[in-house]
Amino acid sequence: MIQTLIVLIAVLLFFLEPVFSLFSPISYGGELYTLVPRFVIVYLIFIAIYYNRRRAIICGIVFGLLYDMFYIDIIGLYAFLYPLICYIAAVLIRYVYRHILTVMLLTLVLIALLEMLSYGFASVIGLTTIGLDEFMTSRLVPTMVANAVFVVMFDWLMKKMIDSKIFGLRNESF
Amino acid sequence: MPRFFSNKRLILLLVGVIVLVALISFSLRDRHNASLPEQIVKDVVGFGQSLFSKPAHYITGIIGNVDGILNTYEENKKLKARLSEYAATQAELADVGEENKQLREIIGKKDNLREFESIHATVIARNPDQWEEKLIIDKGKNHGIEKNMAVVTANGLIGKVVLVTPSTSTVELLTTENQNFRVSAFIPGEEPIYGLIEGYDRLRGELVMKRIDSSYEVEVGEQIISSGLGGIFPKGLPIGEITEVSTDDHGLTKLAYIRPAAQFSMLDHVIIAKRKSATADGIDGGGTAGTEEEEAS
Repeated sequence: MIQTLIVLIAVLLFFLEPVFSLFSPISYGGELYTLVPRFVIVYLIFIAIYYNRRRAIICGIVFGLLYDMFYIDIIGLYAFLYPLICYIAAVLIRYVYRHILTVMLLTLVLIALLEMLSYGFASVIGLTTIGLDEFMTSRLVPTMVANAVFVVMFDWLMKKMIDSKIFGLRNESF
Repeated sequence: MPRFFSNKRLILLLVGVIVLVALISFSLRDRHNASLPEQIVKDVVGFGQSLFSKPAHYITGIIGNVDGILNTYEENKKLKARLSEYAATQAELADVGEENKQLREIIGKKDNLREFESIHATVIARNPDQWEEKLIIDKGKNHGIEKNMAVVTANGLIGKVVLVTPSTSTVELLTTENQNFRVSAFIPGEEPIYGLIEGYDRLRGELVMKRIDSSYEVEVGEQIISSGLGGIFPKGLPIGEITEVSTDDHGLTKLAYIRPAAQFSMLDHVIIAKRKSATADGIDGGGTAGTEEEEAS
């Protein structure tokens, strides 16, 4: 039951990502800002921290592969990045106090890391020619702002659900 | 080093990295043909995706309608001003069209580069990590779509089909940074001026048209349309308007900046233009891009 629910939420977020990316890029004041929705990884980080690292990594590989095949057409990029981020999240959470705020902050830091890794990859294989400055202003910052809104809402909601035992999860490490 | 090998996790990571690097290089090598598993995944995920994106389009449609109603008064004033102009043009167009048809009959020319069959499609996703400007639409091989077909909106050309699976296809937009994306275009007039749309200037937000013969006078404000000479695109799809003319890097040909006629954000419905006259695997295609890469390597 809980397994299917976890996968179902991941599928839902996976399909929602490109729907939100239809609104991007946003032009504001003559500048184009690219917002990249990173809902799946936010969720996977949450799973890695609160539920089970192994499961999060497996989910990361599967959804990373789907993401690569359907949207990116470069197989292996996100199939590698997603599990890596989940792993880092699970390792880092041992060193910080597991409070909802620290989890949110950690998630945001990891999204920034993911975004930078994907920028690095895109510039290496020549998908993009934008410089680091432009990447920061037109992509990283708006992406972080947009995802911060999502992270706050989503983590708060998920925490509420866990606390109210809808999941039947124990709020402890594996 | 027994300790190193006992570290199962490290081995797993290394094997994973090797497999993924192999996969990445494999998929980078041949990016314009989907293998069978990819096609299956694309079709299945595409179906699921369309379940989500269609309601989203519906909602944005409603918001757009409300926005439209709020602007009605202003818009109406403007449109009324243009209406008389429109009626005159309309009459002229009908007359010219009829004459054109008669003349064609006289010279017995049946093929027309301008004619195309339009296939309507809904955009089901935009590449979420937006490094490449790609759209995924809900029509594919089963609906008669083929690689390299032109994709337009009501306002003008937006891109071309780069990958087809049975029921979805991937569209690369004109705003891509891909250097191999070229469209043969021309400036209509008494003496048509030909050139190639090559590349997109991100900072200006404008397309770049290169290889214009420098003996021609090109003026700001002139319209650019597709020439149909590339072999795949129909003729006469509007692309944009010239905003600046300069000389290219080598000083041999002219270069023009073009403000695209179509909007590239919030795309929901697009039209795939399937040319009626015979097509060839020409300049507009990825075929040439492929051969160039091979030559280079």
